[in-house]
Amino acid sequence: MVSKKVTVKNESGLHARPASVLVKVASGYKSEFSIKMYGYNVNGKSILGVMTLAAECGAEMEVIFDGPDEEEALERIVQLFENKFLDVN
Amino acid sequence: MKNRQNSIKFLGKPVSKGVGIGPVHLLEYQSSSVRPEKIKESEVDNNLVKFKSACELLIQEYNELKNHAQTQEAQDILEAQIQTLQDPEVNKTVRHKVKNELLKTEYAIFTTYNDYIQLLESSDVDWAKERAIDVVSIRDELVNAVSDKKKSLDLKEGEIVFATDIPPATMVKISRINVAGIVMERGGATSHAVILSQSLGIPCVINVHWKRYQIKNGQIAIVDGLHGDVILNPTEEDDKRYSEIKEKDAQNLERALKWAHKPNQTTCGSQFSLRANVEFLEELPRLYEYGAKGVGLLRTETLLFEAEEFDIDAQVDFYSNVMKAVGEESVVIRLFDAGGDKLLDDADEEANPFLGWRGIRMLLDEELLLRKQLEAIYRVSQDYKNRLKILIPMVTKIEEIIEVNRICEEVKEKLKGEGIEYDESIEVGIMVEVPGIALIADRAAEQTDFFSIGTNDLTQYTLAVDRGNEKISGLFDSFHPAVWKMIKMTKEAADRNNIPLSVCGELASKPEAAALLMGLGISDLSMNAGAIPYVKAVLCNHSLKEFQELADQFWGEPDARKRDKLLQKWKKF
Repeated sequence: MVSKKVTVKNESGLHARPASVLVKVASGYKSEFSIKMYGYNVNGKSILGVMTLAAECGAEMEVIFDGPDEEEALERIVQLFENKFLDVN
Repeated sequence: MKNRQNSIKFLGKPVSKGVGIGPVHLLEYQSSSVRPEKIKESEVDNNLVKFKSACELLIQEYNELKNHAQTQEAQDILEAQIQTLQDPEVNKTVRHKVKNELLKTEYAIFTTYNDYIQLLESSDVDWAKERAIDVVSIRDELVNAVSDKKKSLDLKEGEIVFATDIPPATMVKISRINVAGIVMERGGATSHAVILSQSLGIPCVINVHWKRYQIKNGQIAIVDGLHGDVILNPTEEDDKRYSEIKEKDAQNLERALKWAHKPNQTTCGSQFSLRANVEFLEELPRLYEYGAKGVGLLRTETLLFEAEEFDIDAQVDFYSNVMKAVGEESVVIRLFDAGGDKLLDDADEEANPFLGWRGIRMLLDEELLLRKQLEAIYRVSQDYKNRLKILIPMVTKIEEIIEVNRICEEVKEKLKGEGIEYDESIEVGIMVEVPGIALIADRAAEQTDFFSIGTNDLTQYTLAVDRGNEKISGLFDSFHPAVWKMIKMTKEAADRNNIPLSVCGELASKPEAAALLMGLGISDLSMNAGAIPYVKAVLCNHSLKEFQELADQFWGEPDARKRDKLLQKWKKF
């Protein structure tokens, strides 16, 4: 299991579009993915879960991966937060 | 509201013009109508299969819609709907409720989704609240699909949609069916449904309180999207009148569209330019069809009001999408032209907002906002060299132009420092919409790259007529000689200083005004895309000499009624 603290950097927060990108990218990995924020813990591959966090700019959260490709997945997701969810391949 | 011989008339707010006549289609969701029902152990498998195939069916439907979606925004909305249908947590919960709590699939779906809907609706964050409506529509579509009820949307071509409100995803579906009109009980003038109906040319009226009456599917209705009238069970007389209007509209459009792709030149071979005023991405697919050569005025206020689109990235996205849609043509981006009345919820209300804190006045006070917008524009410019221009709204002082130019330089320096490339040659021009700047146009021309005349504001400020005030709406006259004097002075100053001038106001969308402007030597016009074919037909069918004669006669005629008569024959094409 690997985890890291990340900050939402997009000005308008983790709204519909970034949430969609996050779920899409995370779903490409086998590892389980959860996000912890303010005591909530949601499945990072669940679009409704991620959206109900309603994370605004500056919100801090912990992203946790557990599974065979956890390192790779974590790196990619952290990068996504850094790039403000612009980079989708 | 009158009630005569079963015919019911409503008056709503017209938001998308045109006349529609057809049978009513009530678009209502059976929300909150799912009752808790238990199933037997032996029915579990069957219920799980039903759930699975309902999800698959809808995913397939949404995928197909997505493949045909014309804008990035529509694709994003549909993608989110697909992800919702695939949501592992939601699906796990529904299956658990069926398997372990022995709840009927419909009810399991209903309660599972409701938990999320409640969370979204009670959020403090606006975008989360707005998403709730899309989740509600997915919930109801799933429930319908499972219970084999009529397909979620069995809307037919030619029907008139009556709805309380239309969720964005449903609107994307509606937009693929050629409906005759849309009537909404709620709906804001800038809601997604309204924007799409405008860009698709579907007549639409909002704020119609139709739910107070017993209205049934199949009843005949008329929608007049120009005046806001909605008539149910129309009398023969109404039917005849509106059918005639409708037919005439259609003939006119067909005739005008024939000109859309002809070269932009008069009978004497003189060139002119017709571009579109654009605010929303959904309008873009129409530009080509209507023969618009680029965007002469890109309004950016929507970016500012929709919190989602506030950041630089979203702006870059928006501008890039517009650039991609115009092919080789150019786009003039007007900086945020917001008034204090619209900007912020907590903005102090102004006694005279039109004379208040708006346009560049606001932007220079909120400099960060201005810098961000400029940065977004310069970032996009590297890929579209010589095709982007910047337009400053509501300029009244030379110093405002100098200040914006200085900030532009600083933004460029910043980008250079970050190693980001941009187009060095972006032109920065000003809106001429206040008499004060028109009167010193020569000095303004020395500081700026081009002029663009905003005729609505220029009329309002020149004549001291609030265009929103119904009592004096008759005084709002863009053909008033004083307004034309302002336009003429500005054009002469532009010529003396060798800078280009265009007109991007409502006025240019009237064929007779376009002809007059041509007569003044103004051949660069921008207007709502729908008006272009009509204007173009008139300009293509006359010579410069005729336009000049018209302008001379108009200018020399002191009698307003006679001036109006002069223009009459130019109103038709």
